[in-house]
Amino acid sequence: MKNFIELLRNEWNSYSKNTQIALYVLFGLSALFVIFAIQILFWGLGYTDMNNNFAMGLWIIGDLGLVALGGGAFFTGFLLYILRVDKLNPLINSTVLLGFMCYLFTFILLVFDIGQPLRAWFGYAYPNWGPGLLPISMLTEVVWCLTLYFCVLCVELIPIPLKHKIMDNIPFFRYFGHYLHKLMWIMAAVGTFLSFFHQGSLGGGMWGVLYGKPVWFRPHYFFLAIVAATAGGTAFMMLIPKIAGKIMKKEVAPKETFMTLARISGVMFVFYLIFRLYDLYSLTVKYVPLADRSYADILGGYYGWWVVIAELLLCLVPIVVFNVAKLREREKYYMAGLIAGVSAISMSKVEAVLHGFSVPNFPWKGFTVYNPTIQEWFIFLGSLAIMTLVYMWFARYLPLFPHLHKGGHGDNKAHT
Amino acid sequence: MSGQEAPKKKVSDMKRLWGMSIDLDKCTGCGACQVACSQENNMPIFEDDSDLPKRVVFLDLMKVTNEMDKGAKFGDVKVAYLPKMCMQCAGNDPDNPYPPCVSVCPVVATDIGDDGVVSQIWSRCIGCRYCQASCPYEARVFHWWKPVYEGSFKEGLNPDVSVSSRGAVVKCTFCSHIWKRERDRMIAKGITDINAVQYTPSCVSSCPTGAMKFGDLKDPRSPVYEEKLRRDPRAVRLVHSIDELRDTNPAEYDRRMKIKQFPNPKVWYLTGSEWLRKKLSVFEKS
Ligand code: SF4
Ligand code: SF4
Repeated sequence: MKNFIELLRNEWNSYSKNTQIALYVLFGLSALFVIFAIQILFWGLGYTDMNNNFAMGLWIIGDLGLVALGGGAFFTGFLLYILRVDKLNPLINSTVLLGFMCYLFTFILLVFDIGQPLRAWFGYAYPNWGPGLLPISMLTEVVWCLTLYFCVLCVELIPIPLKHKIMDNIPFFRYFGHYLHKLMWIMAAVGTFLSFFHQGSLGGGMWGVLYGKPVWFRPHYFFLAIVAATAGGTAFMMLIPKIAGKIMKKEVAPKETFMTLARISGVMFVFYLIFRLYDLYSLTVKYVPLADRSYADILGGYYGWWVVIAELLLCLVPIVVFNVAKLREREKYYMAGLIAGVSAISMSKVEAVLHGFSVPNFPWKGFTVYNPTIQEWFIFLGSLAIMTLVYMWFARYLPLFPHLHKGGHGDNKAHT
Repeated sequence: MSGQEAPKKKVSDMKRLWGMSIDLDKCTGCGACQVACSQENNMPIFEDDSDLPKRVVFLDLMKVTNEMDKGAKFGDVKVAYLPKMCMQCAGNDPDNPYPPCVSVCPVVATDIGDDGVVSQIWSRCIGCRYCQASCPYEARVFHWWKPVYEGSFKEGLNPDVSVSSRGAVVKCTFCSHIWKRERDRMIAKGITDINAVQYTPSCVSSCPTGAMKFGDLKDPRSPVYEEKLRRDPRAVRLVHSIDELRDTNPAEYDRRMKIKQFPNPKVWYLTGSEWLRKKLSVFEKS
């Protein structure tokens, strides 16, 4: 025991002052997450001070954002294993881990959002599938697809710890990891298939089918969410390793890898912007008027036009940066592109939820103001903190970035 | 198995389609309907019932005014009270004849019966609030707190209605438990034709001015015969001006009725006040 404490102390002292401060903050947020999680799960959602005016919490924005950004995992896996873009290989472990955590926390946040967490299994026991293969409720589809895809991500994740040096002494695990790795293209194919559906259903389909609500209803929303995930997800899969590299002061993957993915992301952002513009146009001229409303009037209150305009402007940054070689190669612009890209897609989810709930349903009512409660904030921020801690742990102790361990440019200063 | 073939299609004997009309010119806003509804359906009473956005009621008495309108100054301000419950939407898409809330429920906790009543099984609901998000009439409420029935209140609980637990979504079901009770009573008398059974929801029977009427929308003898309501110039349904198109622009009306975007509620409001009719159905467009 004494040795163990000594070991921990040495480990702690080996971190720089800044890292220690960051760890304090992250541990603090995680502790608050646990406290509020116990409160909500044991005593119920009433204690969050949420109400019927704005029935779904901040965590639903988190949920949609995490799934869209985690969607980069399926798209990168698809590019690497199915389309054979081998240059992406150095990033794949980090991608799988990010995808795994995004989906895990999507689940966790969904459990927080339901009023009866002990009945969560009803989604499997009494699914609203209807007579055919197509599910009636998009949420049923989300539950099943997320579960299956999460299993796929688990299989994809296992080989990473099995590649650790400690495992070298146990041949079984090495071979096991090796064979799992061989199966990866099948997993990538299955994952792409499943992910395609739940990206669409959670990100857009769930809202697009609400035909009584002019702010949400449009049949193509399902597909818009998929394109959003391919664009924002890839940006997210670059942003996190980039930040990790900056903190570790190492080049975690070759520049070529980042540039290849950036080019793809840039093209996807172009598709996304065109699709989104069409989306806004069709809402204005077709879908919102069906409900006797005008789109301009729906975008009022606190979350009016500025949310949509901010999203579109943010979208322009990765489009310009990633598609122009000169800009892409410059570190500062590149980082700006990544941050703007991730923010743009997050903003689109903020837009969906905030507008959806704040728009008045009756002509004699005003817009609802949304004020997330303390529990919503800390469950949301705590989730991000735990994800960051897990990622940091993987980056430090496991072969998350094979490029570093190959002795490539591992010891070089990152990014000139 | 007995060897007998099961019938291929479920054939329903149900001929009823329950609906309601509320005459706002008669409504005084007394709130008797709301109290009767809460009592009938075992609505809990919370410490702070002024916490409106968290309150659990099936029937909300909404105050409608023209105060927010431009030009409505002192003297011009008009007020009406609107008893608003679940509109028991029928939906109007032939491929998806569901109310907005039913098709979204992941666990089939809510469904529409062939009598037109949209049910809600409280013990099946996981409280995801997806149906609440989809309801354009804010008719569904979430049970945020554990229901508490103080002192002798427990003795007044209605044994026909289960007590909902915290964490589930609840809503009005046109007091369908009364209908079931009436059916049982008829069967006990030897009458097995369910179409012979009529009933009155609690809010309707408690209304002192007779503003609320309830009955079968398909029955010409019923006080809420749908064809008659459609032709009534005082009739209006919430939030949609689609009914007005029926006479002014029949082609557009037919087109709109065929598309999915109309929940088609089975509750009609009646009023002769032009401002109120407009207020109920039309959003001001800029
Ligand atoms: S009013 Fe709302 S809860 Fe009632 S049937 Fe219509 S959509 Fe469903
Ligand atoms: S809140 Fe209950 S009834 Fe509504 S969709 Fe969720 S499970 Fe179904």
